[in-house]
Amino acid sequence: MTGSFRLGVACAVGALAGRLSKALGRGRGETLSGRVILAIDPQAISKLSSGRDVVVVSGTNGKTTSTKNLATILRDFAGEGVSTSESGANMPAGIAALLAQSPRNRFAVIECDEMYLPDMYRQLAPKVVVLLNLSRDQLHRTGEVRKVANLWHEAFSRDDVTLVIDRDDPFLEYAAANAGHVIRVSFNGRRHPDAATCPNCAAILNWSSGDYACPCGLGKQLPDVRADKRLDGPQRNTVLVIEAARLMGAEILADEAQDLINKSPDRIHDFMVSDKKVPTHLAKNPESWRQALGDVTSDQVVLSVNARGIDGRDTSWLWDIDYSALLGKNVVCTGERRLDVAYRLSVQGIEVSVASSFSKAVENFPAGPIQAIVSYTAFQDLLTSELGISQGKSGSR
Amino acid sequence: MTLTIVRLYHDLLGTYGDQGNAEILVHRAKARNLDVELIEVTPGMAVPRTGDIYLLGGGEDGPQSAALEMLKTDGGLNYAAAGGATVLAICAGFQIIGETLPDSDGKATSGLGLVDAHTIYDQSPRSVGELVIQPNRGGLPLLTGFENHQGLTRLGKEMPQLGLVRRGIGNGFDHKEGVWHGNVFGSYMHGPALARNPELADAVLQCAVGPMKAFDDQLAQAFAQERRMTLGGMTN
Repeated sequence: MTGSFRLGVACAVGALAGRLSKALGRGRGETLSGRVILAIDPQAISKLSSGRDVVVVSGTNGKTTSTKNLATILRDFAGEGVSTSESGANMPAGIAALLAQSPRNRFAVIECDEMYLPDMYRQLAPKVVVLLNLSRDQLHRTGEVRKVANLWHEAFSRDDVTLVIDRDDPFLEYAAANAGHVIRVSFNGRRHPDAATCPNCAAILNWSSGDYACPCGLGKQLPDVRADKRLDGPQRNTVLVIEAARLMGAEILADEAQDLINKSPDRIHDFMVSDKKVPTHLAKNPESWRQALGDVTSDQVVLSVNARGIDGRDTSWLWDIDYSALLGKNVVCTGERRLDVAYRLSVQGIEVSVASSFSKAVENFPAGPIQAIVSYTAFQDLLTSELGISQGKSGSR
Repeated sequence: MTLTIVRLYHDLLGTYGDQGNAEILVHRAKARNLDVELIEVTPGMAVPRTGDIYLLGGGEDGPQSAALEMLKTDGGLNYAAAGGATVLAICAGFQIIGETLPDSDGKATSGLGLVDAHTIYDQSPRSVGELVIQPNRGGLPLLTGFENHQGLTRLGKEMPQLGLVRRGIGNGFDHKEGVWHGNVFGSYMHGPALARNPELADAVLQCAVGPMKAFDDQLAQAFAQERRMTLGGMTN
């Protein structure tokens, strides 16, 4: 078979498989469709992205939201069609499927899982890679933060790509050390909880100024963009997204940029549970929990923790978080690992109770506002019951 | 008396939540009306020589080497352990308290030598998953934790393990897991280990303060029991 014929067959059969899967109620069909495409044509991703302007977004927290945000900005400001995943699919099969679905769009904005980034970077040949942040997540799968940083460091050595990074994160500065072009955005420094030592030379980093600069040179490159220190995680991601959009040709004026930062989407979804509105944070690792806890204003809080694969099978990280924002509140823990989180809170002196399900946790509260912080699969379960459909468990995280 | 608990370099050795072990010891000691002081030792600080319990956790290779070098130079932990202080060392910390371990380049280097244990990195896949072990003394029940380590640790002939592996890898030799030698405990169990195993927390405390009255923490017991049951229906 010739290359283009093979690709054509792969995409046609993949699309059929995806439609069948969807019709059978097995999820959105993206993952199966992509697997079929890659089985027939292992080069499909590089062929389907060839000649297009590709941006890749990766990092521990905010990938899906930032990818959507960047796709919207490119659609609005560049006025071109954009291929992107609607579902957060960020592994090779999902990426192949989304590229195959809309092969004629000039732009593709691709969310990529951290571990697959080196491989996807080679195949997609992106113009811009946005690295949002890197912190502890799913340690049973990714190994340690430094291992991911090392993988990236090895991967980024081409000159025809530009990285956009938050240089306040030493792991990202290290990942970008060999890259040809780097746009370094600084939010004027902040202590990284996982970076006691230098990712480059392992010396102990001095954070006394709230920033780092290692004698080995890491952190000494001046930033290209300085932004407001007070921005929160989602807003910082929006600043990086805006820089990426500008590199792709979108003209965004300063006041428009400020407007986008102010409206930064975050991962809060209002679920209706037992006739009560429950604004729910998706939080899946220490850093996203810290952000979610900072947003808790109601006195009634549900915490739901699972430890299925994509949540991280080891729950030890629950002990990396300070829960004092919950002191004095009415806290109910649920999910498959409710006892892990309940015991952790009790040791911090927070009164807790446990409930066997999210709806029971909500039902037991008297009137008044409720907020929830839930792990990844717990969030998916809530979405599933809201939509009343079954969702595939793979292909997205 | 005031019970002094020393948490060593938890910025370096806190990758897997093991810093929680200190909070649990404080919590369970206070429940017995003990006065407790928790000292955080950060890089650059001298290690106190008169602490009662010293805690080390798991960490990445580079930070592990940095912590080991500081502990060797300082000498405070060896001094305290020689005087009978209690030590609980998890994962990278367990490797540090042994005789030899790989440095960040993979070459063998000497550890603190508090226990006769030798850690190697071989080509086998990383040991990742739930760990269940059966101790045979101290009245300890089945213990559970989550292991995530590359190194395998061989104990010297005279070194008693903490338990025998029922599920998981543990030390990787002779079905042994951890070490319990005098007042020194080592283990690959994260969770943190003392959160998932209140009886082990009390065994560590008792090394430092002697017999204690019971502490009926129902949530702690329910959590420990749920883990044991889930990991094989074992109710011991």
